[in-house]
Amino acid sequence: MSTAKDPRGIGALRVVECGQGVSAAFGAKMIADLGAEVIKVEPPGGDLTRRRGPFPNDKPDPEKSGLFVYLNTNKRAVTADLGKPEGRELLGRLLEKADILIHNVPPYERANQGLDSAALCAKHPGLIVASISMYGDRGPRANWRGYELNASNAGGWAYLSPGASPYPELPPLKPFGAQCDFQGGAHAALTSLAAMRYKLRTGKGQAIDVCEQEAIAAMLEMNFMHWTYAGRETSRLGSRALGPWFLADCQDGKIFVLAVEEHQWQGLVKLMGNPEWASEEIFKDRMSRAQNMDALKALMSEWISQWKVTDLYKAAQEARIPFAPVNTMQQMYESDHLQERKYFVEFDQPGMSKLKLPGAPSQYGKIKWALRRPAPRLGQHSEEVFCGEFGVPRDQLAKLKQSGVVV
Amino acid sequence: MADSPLSGVRVLDFTWAWAGPFCTQTLAHLGAEVIRIECTLRPCVTRMIPPFADNQPGPNRAGYFNQYNQGKRSILLDLSKPEAVKLAFQLAKHCDVVADNFAAGVIDKLGFSYEKLREIKPDIIQISMSGYGQYGPFKRYVGYGPPASALSGQFWLTGYPGGDPAEIGVSYPDPNAGVMGAYAIIAALLHRDLTGEGQYIDQSQWEAVLVHMAEGLLEWDINHREPARNGNHDRLMAPHETYKSKGNDDQWVSIAVGTEDEWRALCQAIGQPALASDARFKSAELRKKNETALDAIVTAWTRARDKWEAAETLQRAGVATFPSMSNRDLAEDKVPMERGYLVQLEHPEVGRRIHAGIPWKMSGTPSEIQHAAPVRGADTDDVFKTLLGFSQQKIDELRQAEIIK
Repeated sequence: MSTAKDPRGIGALRVVECGQGVSAAFGAKMIADLGAEVIKVEPPGGDLTRRRGPFPNDKPDPEKSGLFVYLNTNKRAVTADLGKPEGRELLGRLLEKADILIHNVPPYERANQGLDSAALCAKHPGLIVASISMYGDRGPRANWRGYELNASNAGGWAYLSPGASPYPELPPLKPFGAQCDFQGGAHAALTSLAAMRYKLRTGKGQAIDVCEQEAIAAMLEMNFMHWTYAGRETSRLGSRALGPWFLADCQDGKIFVLAVEEHQWQGLVKLMGNPEWASEEIFKDRMSRAQNMDALKALMSEWISQWKVTDLYKAAQEARIPFAPVNTMQQMYESDHLQERKYFVEFDQPGMSKLKLPGAPSQYGKIKWALRRPAPRLGQHSEEVFCGEFGVPRDQLAKLKQSGVVV
Repeated sequence: MADSPLSGVRVLDFTWAWAGPFCTQTLAHLGAEVIRIECTLRPCVTRMIPPFADNQPGPNRAGYFNQYNQGKRSILLDLSKPEAVKLAFQLAKHCDVVADNFAAGVIDKLGFSYEKLREIKPDIIQISMSGYGQYGPFKRYVGYGPPASALSGQFWLTGYPGGDPAEIGVSYPDPNAGVMGAYAIIAALLHRDLTGEGQYIDQSQWEAVLVHMAEGLLEWDINHREPARNGNHDRLMAPHETYKSKGNDDQWVSIAVGTEDEWRALCQAIGQPALASDARFKSAELRKKNETALDAIVTAWTRARDKWEAAETLQRAGVATFPSMSNRDLAEDKVPMERGYLVQLEHPEVGRRIHAGIPWKMSGTPSEIQHAAPVRGADTDDVFKTLLGFSQQKIDELRQAEIIK
């Protein structure tokens, strides 16, 4: 690429993705969804997210895994056993023409798979290599193993979760899903595109390493500074600093009760019909309301329980109080607001009933976010890519398929 | 920082609280010049809440502000005055990006709509990060980070097994909006490099979290079923839990086994190699089926040892594990400091403090925190002198008229 303009914009970028699981796949997806050409290199056994599901009727099928499909639309897929020299040679061909390589192969496996960042950058000086690891690719724990559960504990997040817990015998609680992995991917995407700007100016690529533990530790709200500024250790136990702040039961579901600014509290008191208890000393400000949260909850619960979630949500919001429903999956799919914003995308994935996939995280005025291709079958584009575009003779590919290096 | 990925990029930063500043700090980490417009009428909320340095309150002593505004500049403008709005507009002409996280419509009312900005700088990039987005039936709703977790199903899907929906400890939708917003701005900058075009970006905090909830959402879309809350357990992997460590002071260690090799390694490491062929635990499916018994066996081992001893023993054997780190554990662990992730920043008012730094390393354009978070309004004079060429006299006049501070 050069500093010349290119009307394709991000569509002109070429990205290769390796590894398995959520992080690298999501980072590459973020760039693919903006139009870039992405080639996903899977091990011959397939990405492990093909085994995650959810599957239609719970029947495992590597071509029908919900999580795999979500993460890998817009990509073409080849396979290559990077543990074999022939597999590494195939990757090398792809990297000759790539701008960015995103992967999450753990540091202790990179040498075996030809993914040492310094070596790759030396061989391909214009290539940006963005690797994602749990604990970083250098330092005494570079070779430590980790999954999402470990990252959320290593990063200090789980220790704080759920917050205001009355159950000291229950462990720190991991939030749903693969949030640390998603953050790893998002950081890889943003640093890759930033590095791309430098490459446009200078022609130079570089190696980026994203550390999931550190990305999470940078997201602990004010908790890290509670220690470094004020010597206070915080945990999932104890009480909230401000109130009212709690989950409560309506007739037909739960609602998040939050009114921590004075004007919000006043509005809430008015909405509750100015009950006498609201002017008691123990509720005089948002700190004392938090200190007396149990009493506050008990006094409010009857009033809350008389409402339907949607009605209380609307009434509170009309009074500028930031309540929110504890939404179920179904409720989000049925949300008028998300529908008007066309958030969910109707999508045809071959072999599956029509899906409604989560859509764009941001709405751009000029960049076209779109799901243009279905998620690929295992090895679907091996021949098209290796033979059709990267000069591998067809009989050679056939041999590689026989020996299992390629699928 | 002469040649960083975002060298030469200047951001006019109207953000406040957490989500917006997290976004613009990410840009500062990559070398952008970020000018925060702070309002004279009241300090940003994060300057006013604990923890304060040494527990002494003050707008320049707040850990929250100082952590999330590293490397930025601060100017003080009274945006309720039309002259101040004009000044901010003049600054915008010299900026590449304008960012805010006000409620929908507020930035327009202030006078900084995309249409107006484009008149003075046709290739401007503007992002508005709001709770619900710029349009839609709920666009006027008040959005905060923690309720966005309720809205996006994070609470519904998180909780102890058999328990109620639970909160998740930190207001995750805020930094997430920041990260996704930073990505969007960088993508827009790249788009501008390649096409010459700027653009407007509408980001909803709710939608920015939903992109990470696919595994749960698709359970409904594909199977019309709400996923069960299962605590620290996993749908497929076992053992997969955070186990009690030795002692009474809330120490825990997380252990996750994803392969049969790792299962065998765990059995060896805890001195029970025969467990690997125990009929109850021979496969992941069986281990899930007999998870209660399995967790009891693992807990018996972890309860007898310190969390670091457990983690080191298991990692040596090839098992994925890490202690459950508190804020203190993170600060006192030597590794994050040695890696250069924890940084000591010198601040004019609170002196040297440890902060969480940059979670990535770049070989060609190393990222560095340019300086500590700014003292409120410290850069007002310098910004107006260098960007708009104002004399000290003019600045003094503006200050007298309380347009700036």
